[in-house]
Amino acid sequence: MVDNEVVAEPPGPRVQVTKISKSYGGVKAIVHADMTIQSGRVHALVGENGAGKSTLIKIIAGAEKADGGTITFDGAPVTINSTGEAISLGIQTVYQEPQLFPELSVAENIFIGREITKNGRIQWKQEADQVRELLETVGLESNIAATAVGALSVAQQQQVSIAKALATDATVLILDEPSAILTDAEIDVLFEVVRRLAARGVAIIYISHRLDELFRIADEVTIMRDGHTIDSRPMSELTVREIAEMMVGGILSNQSRTRTNVSDEIVLELKNLTLSGKFHGVNLSVARGEIVGVFGLVGSGAESIAGAIYGMTERPQGELIFQGKAMVIRHPAQAKKAGIALLPANRSQQGIFSFQSIGFNITIGRLEMLSKMRGWAEARTEKILAEEQVDTLSIKTPNTLQLVSAMSGGNAQKVVLARQLLKRPALMVLAEPTQGVDVGAKEEIHRIVTGLAEKGTGVLVVTSDLGEVQRIADRVIVIRNGAIVREFGSDATQVELLAAAAGEIVKVSS
Amino acid sequence: MSEKTLTAPVPGLEKPARILPPLISGQEWALVGVLLVLWILLGFFTPAFLTASSVRPLLGSIAPIALIGVGMTFIIITAGIDISVGAGIMVTAVISSRLLVEVNLPLWGVIPTAIVLGLILGLINGLLVAYGGVHAIIITFGTLNLFQYLGLRIFGSQTVNGIPNTLEIFGNGAGGRVLGIPVSFTIAVVVMIGGWWFLRNTAWGRSFYAIGGNQNAARLAGIPVQTRVLSAYVVTGGLVGMGALMVVAQGTNSLMQNVGQGRELAVIAAVVIGGTTIMGGRGSVFGTLLGAILVQTVVTGVTQLGWPSNLANFFVGLFIIISVGADMLRARARKKSL
Amino acid sequence: MTQTTGQIKASRKEPSFARGHALLGALQRFAMTLLTQRSALLCLVTVVLLLVMSIMDAQGTLSGPYDVKYLASSTIALVGLAMLALAQLIVIVSGRGGIDLSVGSMVSLSGIFFGFSYGVWGWSLFAAFVATMLVGAVLGGINGVLIAYAGFPPLIMTLATYYAYRSLALVFSDQKPVNSERIQEFYGAAKAVPIPGLSFIPPIPLGVITFLIPTAIIVWIVMNKTVYGRKLYAIGTNDVAALWTGINVKATRMGAFILSGLISSLVAIYTVAQFASARPDAGTSGSGMALPAITIAVLGGVAITGGIGRVGGVLIAALLIVWLNAGILLAIPGNVGAQTPLLALGLVLIGASLLNAATKKRFGGI
Repeated sequence: MVDNEVVAEPPGPRVQVTKISKSYGGVKAIVHADMTIQSGRVHALVGENGAGKSTLIKIIAGAEKADGGTITFDGAPVTINSTGEAISLGIQTVYQEPQLFPELSVAENIFIGREITKNGRIQWKQEADQVRELLETVGLESNIAATAVGALSVAQQQQVSIAKALATDATVLILDEPSAILTDAEIDVLFEVVRRLAARGVAIIYISHRLDELFRIADEVTIMRDGHTIDSRPMSELTVREIAEMMVGGILSNQSRTRTNVSDEIVLELKNLTLSGKFHGVNLSVARGEIVGVFGLVGSGAESIAGAIYGMTERPQGELIFQGKAMVIRHPAQAKKAGIALLPANRSQQGIFSFQSIGFNITIGRLEMLSKMRGWAEARTEKILAEEQVDTLSIKTPNTLQLVSAMSGGNAQKVVLARQLLKRPALMVLAEPTQGVDVGAKEEIHRIVTGLAEKGTGVLVVTSDLGEVQRIADRVIVIRNGAIVREFGSDATQVELLAAAAGEIVKVSS
Repeated sequence: MSEKTLTAPVPGLEKPARILPPLISGQEWALVGVLLVLWILLGFFTPAFLTASSVRPLLGSIAPIALIGVGMTFIIITAGIDISVGAGIMVTAVISSRLLVEVNLPLWGVIPTAIVLGLILGLINGLLVAYGGVHAIIITFGTLNLFQYLGLRIFGSQTVNGIPNTLEIFGNGAGGRVLGIPVSFTIAVVVMIGGWWFLRNTAWGRSFYAIGGNQNAARLAGIPVQTRVLSAYVVTGGLVGMGALMVVAQGTNSLMQNVGQGRELAVIAAVVIGGTTIMGGRGSVFGTLLGAILVQTVVTGVTQLGWPSNLANFFVGLFIIISVGADMLRARARKKSL
Repeated sequence: MTQTTGQIKASRKEPSFARGHALLGALQRFAMTLLTQRSALLCLVTVVLLLVMSIMDAQGTLSGPYDVKYLASSTIALVGLAMLALAQLIVIVSGRGGIDLSVGSMVSLSGIFFGFSYGVWGWSLFAAFVATMLVGAVLGGINGVLIAYAGFPPLIMTLATYYAYRSLALVFSDQKPVNSERIQEFYGAAKAVPIPGLSFIPPIPLGVITFLIPTAIIVWIVMNKTVYGRKLYAIGTNDVAALWTGINVKATRMGAFILSGLISSLVAIYTVAQFASARPDAGTSGSGMALPAITIAVLGGVAITGGIGRVGGVLIAALLIVWLNAGILLAIPGNVGAQTPLLALGLVLIGASLLNAATKKRFGGI
């Protein structure tokens, strides 16, 4: 295979960002970031959620503008005010959600908006020739050019996105968590493509949580934490554990709870739960009064477990035993009736009714409580129930008639949580309970959850938030690639958890 | 890596390399099949059906529906809709008829007039939909009322009588045929071919699919969404103007006030039956032509079979359901194959 | 210093252009209420309309008196219109592109059934009533099943049933209105009656009292005071979240279309009374009944995307349109007057929805 298009390699770094800072509202997303990207190298960027990597990438890609600091491109300072300007420099991003048109063919998707035309007429032959090359570079068969994108697998769609980015002579290609949705075989293909691109001189910024993978593909890594770039080092000088340590920082107070109310009575037992394509062989149990954390990074499959328990996915194989009885849950109403409550992961899509009032949002989960007569709903009862919850959960609002759309993330999340607490559940499943929630509300929600456990509810917290799971869980089950890798007690350190989730291979000694 | 399986251009037979979905979709083949069956059945049960004197008016009646259907296909592909075309026909028809009667406008004058009138109506729709931030169904509900008002005012309180034969070339009579085929039908087919080429081979046309498929992504890709959407409605307006002339020509020499009424539904039915999905992002004008033929065949067939003519509407409704159902099944099957 | 804090307080609570001046602030708040609360705006416009018409009346420019008696009698048009607008409210609030283009045809078909059952087959009024409502429910249910369970897009589905039901009405009735002595007598159900005890209120068409008001009350109760009503608003606002809370989204959505069919059948019965005959084109003559009904719903604050819309707004909108049309008829004599409502309806719909879109973007609210 002949590369006939090698991107001209500059003598110095392709992109360099120095002293970058960025705030949103009063919150500092990036305090101080420095990073140097060389052409032809794969540069990994790692950091926990909230460390600032997405913001840094957005700044480089032109989707956001930095408050302070400089960016140089090929040694010359540049200001990147829009994605269009970034693209003209050759900076392209491939996101997790492909921005493709499912009904148009692969070739069209690659050329959309910049078709080769002569007198208004699209020059299919020329496009076909270019497409053939591009498809080969990204590892797709060229006869796929006419297939509608919607008919392709997710992995193939990602390859098309990469081809699309390359079609405009990318100098810097940013890949955001590309392996999250891929199988092992597909990851091999992806890595092959990335190496090929690097060989042509493209600079690759590779964002990923999967530290073990980075050792296969990245040349160097920049670690971010709390809005700072901590260090940039060649991959060869580090281990997974060391990277995890830098991501997590100094010794944080291990707030392990004193276990008081964990009984022997098992509320939930999952035996060999398998959902094809997502997770397999999951065995776990939750006792009354216990908080079990399920920790997995994006793409680990952990995020589907909550939905599977609640009947929102295809029916999983394996067994689900709730309060001693085997159950097959097909619909959330069934789970609710049995006594299982669930806080969905994606608040705006799955949780809130944004143009409705707080009272509506809280009581919508238990409409039968709104009146003594079946089928009726009294506004007064709604008000009373809602006000009770507002009080208990310290939701900041003047009254229960306010629309949820106007609330902050933390307050809105409390509203959705309140919905689940109208009737104390036997099992409470929480998926990403403090995503997009400010620090204060986060504390309060954690307090509410531990309070629930103390009163006897079994709690299952599925989260990708390291600090959270370490702080409130009695036991932490770490999931990677759809399977349980390890189980930790409440004395686990964040570094251990992250390392396990990110792929550190541990010799089991006991 | 696998070999290149792209068809290399054969010298002398320059086929464009295959980077587009196939020319004729599954739904369209099915439609062709259904039409063939229908025509054979009708021809069998009512021999009169397959005679020239029956087929010609059929083709003529198909013409305005298929013609306007081309524009409506553009609109529906962009995930929009235009319910006002029936009223648009009325306005253009009454103005053109009065010009014919009162000013004795010749053919080469009335054609551009009607088209320009239609373009203006389409412009109103397009500006409101593209820039108003309101869903097309609501806007065109509103303009439907406005156009109807305008048309009725121009009618005065009567019908327009004594329309001369100027438009006979678009009519169903002997003056409206070339090589035995009604001119109006030929025009519709020509426009359809033009529309088909446009949708398949120009960036402008392909952008309709992008806009209907994912408007946000289209904008991010640099497509000027508002201008393109506007153009779809303007083009439809022009076609409405032309179609109105056909409707006038195919009527009597008196124009009734209910001209055009309900036509928008026939056009939309033709588009939907033809396989264009109402959600946008997918569709073809060839399917619309087939849909128009199907709708009119049902109408004519019912009459010829001696059944109550209103049963035709029932069958149209049924066909819409079957088409959309088939379309949805196919979409679901395609997703499952991932 | 107090002035500064006063200014800071004001600028935090109100839009930035209101800085402390009490009257200006109050005016701005008033404007915001009008923009965000549809019912308030409609009431204002209605008041303005009545004022304008009264002035014109006093000046003698009207062809007839625009007085309370006239307003009352003009509400005969309100019955069908408002009831179908309520049906649209229910369906559009249910979300996912909910809309019902087939109401006119359901009116026609149910009306024919009523005509036959009461007028020809000799069923008792009660039996014919109930049976007709069942027919309406089934017609709506067909829409509901295919839309909610099979996933058909509501616009196309109800377009198809518009065609189908309409043709069935004409076929079953042989294109002739169903007349009979019994039906002629039924006309008594539609004329205007004085309200006993409140003799200062002029005679109101009986249909308003026997059909519209009960329907409006029941719909209001369903939407605001029942569990079902809340589920409806929930699925219209976010049907994914509704699914996560255990709501049976499909059944709820189907219910909306069944209700629309039920209301259509009631309108059908009323129309038979109004015209003293069961006409097969009762709901489909002209541009049909669906269009004005949807117009009034949108005017009344119903968001086409679902989840937003109140009975009160729809009713006031219906009243406004009816009185506006009545006024136009007096102000503009002859044929033009009969046609101007089209202009009004069109302008009102476009204006109202543009306003809706603009204020939703900037201020939220209804």
